[in-house]
Amino acid sequence: MIPADPALGVDLALPAVRAVPDLALPTLKAVPVQSGTSFFDGLGQFLQPETLVSVFVEGLAKSAIYVMIAAGLSLIFGLMGVLNFAHGTLTMIGAYLAGIVMVVLVGGATGQWGRILAFFGALVVVFVLVGGFGSLVEVGLIRRLYDRPPIAQILLTFGVALVLEEAARIVVLFYGLQPTSEWQEALGTKPAVLATRHSLGPLSIRGLALFEILLGVLTVVGIWAFLTRTRYGLFIRAGSEDAEMAQALGIDVRRVFTVVFALGAGIAGVAGAVLMWDQIWGANVPLAAETLLPAFVVVIIGGLGTFRGTVVGALIVGMVDAVTTWWFINVVTWTWLPDVAVFLILVGMLILRPQGLYGVEEVGGH
Amino acid sequence: MSLLEVEDVETYYGESHILEGVSLEVEEGEVVALVGRNGVGKTTTLRSVLQLTPPREGSVRYRDEELVGMRTHEVADRGVGWIPEDRRIFSQLTVEENVRVAVPDGVDTDEAVAFAFETFPELDSHRGRDAGTLSGGQQQMLAIARGLVGENDLLLVDEPSEGLAPQIVADVATALAEASTETTLLLVEQNLPLALDLADRFYILDNGRVVDDGDADEVSADDERLRRYLSA
Repeated sequence: MIPADPALGVDLALPAVRAVPDLALPTLKAVPVQSGTSFFDGLGQFLQPETLVSVFVEGLAKSAIYVMIAAGLSLIFGLMGVLNFAHGTLTMIGAYLAGIVMVVLVGGATGQWGRILAFFGALVVVFVLVGGFGSLVEVGLIRRLYDRPPIAQILLTFGVALVLEEAARIVVLFYGLQPTSEWQEALGTKPAVLATRHSLGPLSIRGLALFEILLGVLTVVGIWAFLTRTRYGLFIRAGSEDAEMAQALGIDVRRVFTVVFALGAGIAGVAGAVLMWDQIWGANVPLAAETLLPAFVVVIIGGLGTFRGTVVGALIVGMVDAVTTWWFINVVTWTWLPDVAVFLILVGMLILRPQGLYGVEEVGGH
Repeated sequence: MSLLEVEDVETYYGESHILEGVSLEVEEGEVVALVGRNGVGKTTTLRSVLQLTPPREGSVRYRDEELVGMRTHEVADRGVGWIPEDRRIFSQLTVEENVRVAVPDGVDTDEAVAFAFETFPELDSHRGRDAGTLSGGQQQMLAIARGLVGENDLLLVDEPSEGLAPQIVADVATALAEASTETTLLLVEQNLPLALDLADRFYILDNGRVVDDGDADEVSADDERLRRYLSA
């Protein structure tokens, strides 16, 4: 959750070092600490308009990442009642698949716009392949467990995650890459326009942050439009509320659920493709666990079963993450501050409003 | 050939034997009432036709095509509609979306929606509201509207007057009478005067079996022939 960001007082050229084991607090990576600033000096600096806007933009970029990570999980749980523990694994596979496409298509001579075009091609490839894989998993495995208690689906998807992660580890090692390190060759396909900072008046903003915000907005608008403006989206919403009634109206609910699972998986893959270019994350096998936890945090804060809740949850988590990261980097020398802040919100939400901000008591219509 | 032929249907919920050889027929254009005490299998009969609770034995033929073994959406695609006992409108969809979702592929959706709101003008002013906020009577109207826009040749209507105020029941009866001019109805109803008023024929179900049937104009609601099976 903590970016090494020059705007926030840290030189990106310094190597990012993983501070904790992958599964403990998966998104936390250490950054060098500048300390010695008093609280009041820090507060004064934080309240400078340039700092506030900078932190806000970083918060939006983080929110965009979180909404992309969590959207598929939220859709699948909200519409089908299935908790997909393989979600992070699909994100990790998406990151590697996008990396493969980019490494194959992009050469040293490829221009900036050529790289961006190739990236959008990679998004399509990843969405189709990961979504297609998701549909196979739903038809072949999950469909058989709809009438069983939720623990059966959880165990199944957890098992799928373990198998896929180990398979990915074997393949990555086979090709001579280090599974726990970001795939540098894929990171290197990023165009300069996204790798550098851009001046907007007195502000200096990361190109990649703006790109991530754009993709996050496109993801949210795309999902919202699909669910509310298309006939199939209407079928999905009806089928998720009352599957039996929807069938009696002629809707093939089994197929609807397959489409929902494929869509959720595809979005997970696309999120991975975006992370592949972000050096805070990058394509690596532990990305599966690193993304699953924040996805659950966002979905639980927003409310299980609502897409609106996921968007709001991602905004809250992203903003809290950005603000606390700024304080951690500039004032407080406590490494865990951003993660503790986010998890405190999670704990508070679970105590005060367990169903989350917009959550419903029960989801899934089957 | 009858529109619907149910023959010796045996249906179970788990190990509970609910229907023990139900047979009935519905002709095209008829309104047929299925009456009986609570728990005798009326709703299960409708669910068995729709294959929501598929029969273990027996046959359900619609336009001489066997429905047993089909999936529910395939039954619906053939023109069998359902207005269920507790309305089951989609509460998180708007009123208009509830109508739209029921319009089959290949039918002009805007035209079907316009028809629904012309038939039930009371719903028109609420079309943008979440359907869950409607009153019970309005929800019943919406459920009937949903059945009508489905281009169904047979509507299975389950307890349409349940839980409604008398004035609303009269409105629902009028709506069903209008619906019966367009489509065939198989009506499950506890309100005997309402059922007999709407129906051409009736079947009495008791303990999972059809125990009597006849023309609706042969009997009245307080007829001993009916009371024997319907009083608690």
